Amino acid sequence: MAAPLPLKNVRVANFGWVWAGPVVGQTLGFLGAEVYKVESRSRVDINRTLPPFGEDINDPDRSLQNHAAWAGNGSVTINLKEPEGLDLAKQLVAECDVVIENFGPGAMEKLGLGYEALKQVKPDLVMISMPTAGLSGPLKDVRTYGMSLSSLTGLDSITGYTGGPPIPVENAYSDPYNGIMGAFAVLVALTNRDRTGKGQHIDYSQQESIMQLAGPAFMDYVLNGRTGVTMGNRHPTNAMAPHGVFRCAGGDKWISIVVANDEEWAALRDAMGDPEWARDGAYATSKGRVADVDAIHEQLAAWVADKDNRELTELLQSHGVAAAPVSSIADLLADPHFKARGTYVEMTHPLGFKETIYGGYVKSDKFEAAVRPGPMIGQDNDYVFKELLGLPADRYADLVERQVIY
Amino acid sequence: MAEGALAGIKVVEFGQLVSAPYCAKLFADFGADVIKVEPPDGDVARRMGPFPNDEPHPEKSGLFFYLNTNKRGVTLDVATGAGRDQLLSLLSDADLFIENYRPAQMRDWRLDYDSIKDANPNLVMVSITPFGQTGPYADWNGYDLNAYHLSAGGHRYCGRPGESPLEHGTFSADFYGADAGAAWGLACVYGRDVVGSGQHLDVACAEVVAAVFTGCQNIGGYAQSGHYETRTGVGMPLGAPATILPCKDGHVWMLALEPGQWNALAKVMGDPDWMKLDQFQDMFVRAQNADAMYPLIEQWTVEHTKADIMQWCQEAGCPTTAIMTVPEAAEQPHLKERGYIRQIEHPALGKMLTLGAPFGLPETPGGPTAPAPLLGQHNDEVVNSESSG
Repeated sequence: MAAPLPLKNVRVANFGWVWAGPVVGQTLGFLGAEVYKVESRSRVDINRTLPPFGEDINDPDRSLQNHAAWAGNGSVTINLKEPEGLDLAKQLVAECDVVIENFGPGAMEKLGLGYEALKQVKPDLVMISMPTAGLSGPLKDVRTYGMSLSSLTGLDSITGYTGGPPIPVENAYSDPYNGIMGAFAVLVALTNRDRTGKGQHIDYSQQESIMQLAGPAFMDYVLNGRTGVTMGNRHPTNAMAPHGVFRCAGGDKWISIVVANDEEWAALRDAMGDPEWARDGAYATSKGRVADVDAIHEQLAAWVADKDNRELTELLQSHGVAAAPVSSIADLLADPHFKARGTYVEMTHPLGFKETIYGGYVKSDKFEAAVRPGPMIGQDNDYVFKELLGLPADRYADLVERQVIY
Repeated sequence: MAEGALAGIKVVEFGQLVSAPYCAKLFADFGADVIKVEPPDGDVARRMGPFPNDEPHPEKSGLFFYLNTNKRGVTLDVATGAGRDQLLSLLSDADLFIENYRPAQMRDWRLDYDSIKDANPNLVMVSITPFGQTGPYADWNGYDLNAYHLSAGGHRYCGRPGESPLEHGTFSADFYGADAGAAWGLACVYGRDVVGSGQHLDVACAEVVAAVFTGCQNIGGYAQSGHYETRTGVGMPLGAPATILPCKDGHVWMLALEPGQWNALAKVMGDPDWMKLDQFQDMFVRAQNADAMYPLIEQWTVEHTKADIMQWCQEAGCPTTAIMTVPEAAEQPHLKERGYIRQIEHPALGKMLTLGAPFGLPETPGGPTAPAPLLGQHNDEVVNSESSG
């Protein structure tokens, strides 16, 4: 029998919206925490309005990507603009260990739900605020979108074809990363709380967390004063060659190939049938290969061009060479490895349609992650308001009627 | 200095390159006792740059320095019985064991989870590899680039149509794997009494990205309709403006989607007549006319600096930002004021700068305070004292 989930005694109120904040709740929820996303029909979260929709019916309870991003969170509806709604939110926080939010700095204070106010109802609260650039400093009110946040870290300046202009990443690559890192931050603070009895207010700057990914380029600036340049798929610190992506047969099909050391270079030569060009003595060392990376990549590109990327991967792997197909979105669902690992799971949503979302993206040998369909708006209202907060039935009905619970 | 938030937690890291070392660094940033175990010739990252003046030196790798601050370092030859025993001795009272060797290699060393769990049933072992411990690719050789592109991150979201999909110029899949390993690993230490024991966590870097990033945004729609998209080279193909544009001294991330943002941009640009035309009146229509619109905006951006464009746009209510180069990002007054750039003295590298912790804990501040260990620097104090004591 599967073991209990590690966070089953943790309760979370998640005021987070769109993507990063909800993924903090999702991560904690997959690990067993009881997580309630606090939202309202008076201003539906934009993430619920994004297509495609289950059975193509445009409805805030049917956004498929929203369900993948939010699965693991429950949902309660509170209209926070109503004073009684504010009271309800505080009553909920008093029963929680953790509060999550990713609005701009000061937004929770304006609602009356700042850390100082919430500490009054829950003295050892762990609260995480995760605005773009943190809670203090001259840039704290900067506005970005998830996909442009990395422009403030140096990372965007090194993403692109070798020597060319920066190429945009076409979605908010940093959002789910920050969601998971936010969950780590919460767990660090909870660990400290359990030992010392003290909660705290985590100042999570998404800029600072993502800038860590530019750390290798940052070190080259510190050590050598270099600016950092676009390098295509080359090794980020120029330590390995070949290190690239090459077009195979069949259109937009590619293979990634990496040679990390001299032993793997010998293996690649062997796999290729030791062609004349690869016998160049200068290529026997990493230094020599890195120095002539363009020529090596050109030869490899010619060699792979008429081959199937999956068959070629098998051939190269059988020689011990690091290679893998470059997946398209269609490839992901068909991939035998992701199938075997249960990376994606089909759920039946309470509204009756099937939806494919991702499952526990880390595997435990002791428990199954608590993956459920994406939350319906207000699906946990009855339990939370009546049982957890103990509202009498008539009071509950009245608050629903007057659209405070809404 | 106040105790770190993770004081009392003991982590043994048996890692190389980026994923496991960065994961363990996150624990070291917040006061856990992290012991890094390296083979006698050191973590491979020691042989990778950046080096000062590009001169390789095993104690001067900037990459190794960055990823291993606040750790103690020991060398063990785990292929020998004595070395393996010493590692097991370190694990006997550890909370976490974070490693990233290939599964077959760990089995050869008899250091896979089944072989070590009896030494400490409370141990949470976190294995972070490109493809994971199970599944048909588990025994593949692989590195960050292979894992990232298996996730469709580049094919879907980065690169021009017809040209190669792109990684982001860093170790994206490795960082994602480290991120997931840290959160799940600490959760399993936090809730160890609830679970009733330690356990083995299997992190496949490719799977993490393929789930939470590319899978999240695409897999539901694809499963339902069979339709999928690929990279376009433009920041947002369906709404505009939303892409990277050149300016006088580099590039800006141009964003003006909502009506207020578009009006703010118009004001900053001096209210040119073309911006009032019907074909530019909402973000979707603008995207359909992007080929006409982007050159018009670009005529303006190339006349101005990224800092000016960002400041004017932000003040007016348009979320456009500068594409900061690495030095520009590093020198921001904002990050200096927040104390994010740290100085540390290293025995071989001298005075060094590095990045602070990824998030701020005001009651228990974290971040690097001690340099990365020299090779075998703590052999005497860690291995010899523990084996004799």
